[in-house]
Amino acid sequence: MKKDTLIMSFESSCDETSVAVIKNGKEILSNIIATQIKSHQRFGGVVPEVASRHHVEEITRCIKLAMDEAKVTYDDIDAVAVTYGPGLVGSLLIGIMAAKTVAFAHDLPLIKVNHLAGHIYSANFVTDLKYPFMALLVSGGHTELVLVTAPGEFHTLGDTRDDAVGEAYDKIGRILGINYPAGKQVDQMAAVGNDVFNFPRAMVQEDNLDFSFSGLKSAFINRVHHADQVHEDLSKDDLAASFQGAVLDILSNKTFRALKQHPVNQLVVAGGVAANQGLRKRLKEEIEKRNMDMELIFPPLRLCGDNAAMIGAIAQIQFEKGDFADLSLNSDPSLDF
Amino acid sequence: MKILAFDTSNKPLSVAVVEDGKVLAHVESSENKTHSVTLLPDIKNSLADASLSVNDIDRIAVADGPGSYTGVRIAVTVAKTLAFTLNKPLVGISSLKLLAADGGNEQFLIPLMDARNDNAYAGVYSSKNGKLVNVIDDQHITMAKLLELLQDYDEDKLEFINATQKLTDLIREKYPHAKIMSAEDSLPDATKLAKLAEQAEPVKDIDSFVPTYLRLTQAEHDWYEKGHKDDGNISYVEEV
Ligand SMILES: [Zn+2]
Repeated sequence: MKKDTLIMSFESSCDETSVAVIKNGKEILSNIIATQIKSHQRFGGVVPEVASRHHVEEITRCIKLAMDEAKVTYDDIDAVAVTYGPGLVGSLLIGIMAAKTVAFAHDLPLIKVNHLAGHIYSANFVTDLKYPFMALLVSGGHTELVLVTAPGEFHTLGDTRDDAVGEAYDKIGRILGINYPAGKQVDQMAAVGNDVFNFPRAMVQEDNLDFSFSGLKSAFINRVHHADQVHEDLSKDDLAASFQGAVLDILSNKTFRALKQHPVNQLVVAGGVAANQGLRKRLKEEIEKRNMDMELIFPPLRLCGDNAAMIGAIAQIQFEKGDFADLSLNSDPSLDF
Repeated sequence: MKILAFDTSNKPLSVAVVEDGKVLAHVESSENKTHSVTLLPDIKNSLADASLSVNDIDRIAVADGPGSYTGVRIAVTVAKTLAFTLNKPLVGISSLKLLAADGGNEQFLIPLMDARNDNAYAGVYSSKNGKLVNVIDDQHITMAKLLELLQDYDEDKLEFINATQKLTDLIREKYPHAKIMSAEDSLPDATKLAKLAEQAEPVKDIDSFVPTYLRLTQAEHDWYEKGHKDDGNISYVEEV
């Protein structure tokens, strides 16, 4: 019988401090997540210096909890993995320094993980991934279509030209008086409102696979400002529904364009915005409408946001390939595929 | 007692392995290298130079601030994680006290870090029987206020340490005769850090060990300025 592989993984790229212990890249023995949302809500968004400070406060507690919950000792661990980018440099550094220290202290191999790859491989906890598969990565920092041709082989097909989709949600959320992070509440309001404002669907006519949300955001802001000036009362639910309607049209249009160009049997939707119920429903309907033989994979909600379990999932592949880093590992805040 | 000591609170980096006052290994770099890249390799090399395994270390010592926010965090994160993961005692020493340890025999040592716009991180230390005693707390302070705080002291007994040219000019206006050690000449030395750490109490709760920034973040400062108050029970970070 093949020996099990246990990886201790670290994630601290933004405002979550997370440490996990993952077995064979498939089984979560523990996945401790300390979120700083309440702190950053004071400021209406993530403040990098505040985030870095919180990571130092939490890091060893998270390691301890992750090991306790997984009931493992260092002798059981085969490797240490850590997100090294993209993300906030000060935040990334805490996870990196802690992971390097544990790897050094216990003489364990170190694996450097791309955060985006981690998000995509959160799907590995849901099903067996079959190559090639398509991934739509949607979060506060990223909006990308990625074709995964083999384990750990990523090809970016489309990217956002301006705002990330989750960022657009937070910005229009602020106008609606919703505190960061706004995605969940906008999603709920959209479910009861109607798409009546006909906001622009940027670039859906264009043949490329890139995204743009700044035009939509501006149209939204202009509409609300105009209403304010003429003392017109707009339904917030309708505003949310109109915004989300445009977002879903853009995401769906580009995703199915990509799937047409690169036929696959699995579509993974990952990242914080993958928690959006409207998006889940929409993609399911589009697949049914098109009669496609397509497995649609959404990670469970807990694995949509930033977490170390997903880092351990992709790290397993790198472990098997012998793709190791050394103690001079640094952060790469603008890392891409 | 074998002590592993390191400091990355400012541009220089210093790592040392010291056993009962004897320096077994010492790595220093005053160049502007990336501490996040070099710290662990330097620790590894220092231990190798000392022919020790990290498990042989009895105590970990770190300069815990003030200083460059990122710099201090790098050393503190490594120190607390190392102490936690190997179950070793951890000692945090003020980065200003470490600078004071570089001073001479003057009665009052005033380590400084230039915090721009005529501000500094500074404290006042006194050397008594070979021990450094804190006389005025480390703080973020305007130079004008710091120099005022010192006016009751005998100018001949003052030594300012780690003064940039700008700070030197400000000091000279008020204290033309005080001894000043320039920033170029005052390099934090991890062998001295180890010595300070040998006499100090280890931290009680490693998990709660964080840098001493001596300043709120700008965002928090502005938030409190607007009249916000912490709700006594609120925990800003939650496990989910
Ligand atoms: Zn993320």
